[in-house]
Amino acid sequence: MTWADDGNNPMIHFNGVTKDYDNQTALRDITFSVEKGEMIFVTGPSGSGKTTLLKLIYFAEKPDRGTISIAGWETGQLKESSIPFLRRNIGIVFQDFRLLHNKNVFENVAMALRIRGAGEKEIKARVYETLKAVNLRHKADVFPRRLSGGEQQRVVISRAIVAEPTVILADEPTGNLDPDTAEGVMRTFKEINAKGTTVLIATHNRELFRNSGRRVIRLDMGNLVAEDRT
Amino acid sequence: MTYAFILAFQSLIREKWINLLSVLTIASGLLIISLALFTVYNIDAATKNLPERFSMILYLDNDIQKEKVDAAVGILKKNHAVLSVRYIPKDEALKELKTTLKNSSYVFEGLDENPLPDAIEVKLKKDSVGQETVRKFAGEAMKIPGVKEVDYAEKFLSTLNYLRVGMKTIGLILIASLGAGIIFVCYSTVKILFYRRNEEIETFKLLGATKAFIRTPFLVEGALIGTSGGIVSLLGIFAFYYIVLLRLSVSMPIFKAILFPWDLFLVLPFVGTFLGVTGAAIAIGRLKY
Ligand SMILES: Nc1ncnc2c1ncn2[C@@H]1O[C@H](COP(=O)(O)OP(=O)(O)O)[C@@H](O)[C@H]1O
Ligand SMILES: [Mg+2]
Repeated sequence: MTWADDGNNPMIHFNGVTKDYDNQTALRDITFSVEKGEMIFVTGPSGSGKTTLLKLIYFAEKPDRGTISIAGWETGQLKESSIPFLRRNIGIVFQDFRLLHNKNVFENVAMALRIRGAGEKEIKARVYETLKAVNLRHKADVFPRRLSGGEQQRVVISRAIVAEPTVILADEPTGNLDPDTAEGVMRTFKEINAKGTTVLIATHNRELFRNSGRRVIRLDMGNLVAEDRT
Repeated sequence: MTYAFILAFQSLIREKWINLLSVLTIASGLLIISLALFTVYNIDAATKNLPERFSMILYLDNDIQKEKVDAAVGILKKNHAVLSVRYIPKDEALKELKTTLKNSSYVFEGLDENPLPDAIEVKLKKDSVGQETVRKFAGEAMKIPGVKEVDYAEKFLSTLNYLRVGMKTIGLILIASLGAGIIFVCYSTVKILFYRRNEEIETFKLLGATKAFIRTPFLVEGALIGTSGGIVSLLGIFAFYYIVLLRLSVSMPIFKAILFPWDLFLVLPFVGTFLGVTGAAIAIGRLKY
């Protein structure tokens, strides 16, 4: 199942979305859109609801009020069984990485293709190509725990982009990287975006989007407080 | 699909202690089942032929006339349950008795009159040798004119019957409960393996893995664990045969009579596969994902 591309729908559309956890509201009445091929930032202090917003997009959480549609698909109407197939259109860079520690770098990246049932030959070619792009080709046989934070981050990015998804969601992708590495990572996202992939980056680091000319959505305590262009 | 096997094998190696434990548990269960089956099989085989030798003796009135005997034999021969009828005059009976007891012939010293009555020996057809049919037949035989008494091993028949039915019931209960136990072991093992891989499975889901992709490796693993248990139990039963039975039969020839149903045991690995897959299927069926 791939996403209907009739050209009119925004890639991501939130309409009055509220998300409550047990005793607190993580997001309140959020409305915004992300256009196809856009590169957009979601920012705000820690605890403002950035991760929750991404989770709503990749179906890990359900909204309590309001509707979310992705490429025209309203998520509330989806059948449980179609979620895996829709998720394959999204590449996720998790804040906590979610690397498989009993598998080496190659296998971690390959997993995104294996779950899609790709053949061994295709997997080899694509994984090595992607690892090369993030400068990790020489670490293919290494296990994640032996990598530095920046290297692990790049493995997660490789896994998110290897299957060429329509949308990339990145949660604090430069969280614990030194400025040079962070810049390299951002360059990678720009390149992917330049090829037409929609990219949404959640970050508390203003340096990442300063003077970038991209749209920025600002959250504070679950409220959307500003939507502007830097 | 092939990747499911790779994941299953990786998990087998990574969780080798849990898996080894359940393989051994399954193997022991199957081994006990096999030994129970083996025992029931042998008792059944040993007792199956006993009723063939089963016979009834009808003792006749003293000084019974020839016509009456012929009439009685005629009536008996017409009965559907009867296999053979043999008239044993008392002289012949005494002669038989004397030959069997020829080393203790002093028993007959001072015996001037034959104390034995005339008798008819009746052999019943094999399928008529049941406790009920025999009792009914004995009742009918008593009504035949000239028949004084009917003698047969009633105790023997009922004991034999008890033994056969009892052994089969115990065997079945044992097999059923151990079978359920083995399924439960596979179920628990797969469940443990599943929870231990929870984190990994969650990641697979977020990457877009289907239920089938996530579940198939566990089914494969359940099958592999069950099959391994079956193979180990097969080795165990072979060891039992070669080390115990063959050795014993050298010194005690009676053990040569014991039957070893090879073909019955060769299905053990498949039984293991079946139980393993069943346990795994129940386990993943009850999980949310
Ligand atoms: N699973 C959860 N259960 C309960 N509360 C949660 C959960 N996830 C997040 N929260 C709360 O929701 C708020 C927003 O969290 P989050 O979206 O992670 O913010 P951010 O990513 O901007 O730091 C926080 O106050 C956090 O404590
Ligand atoms: Mg966060």
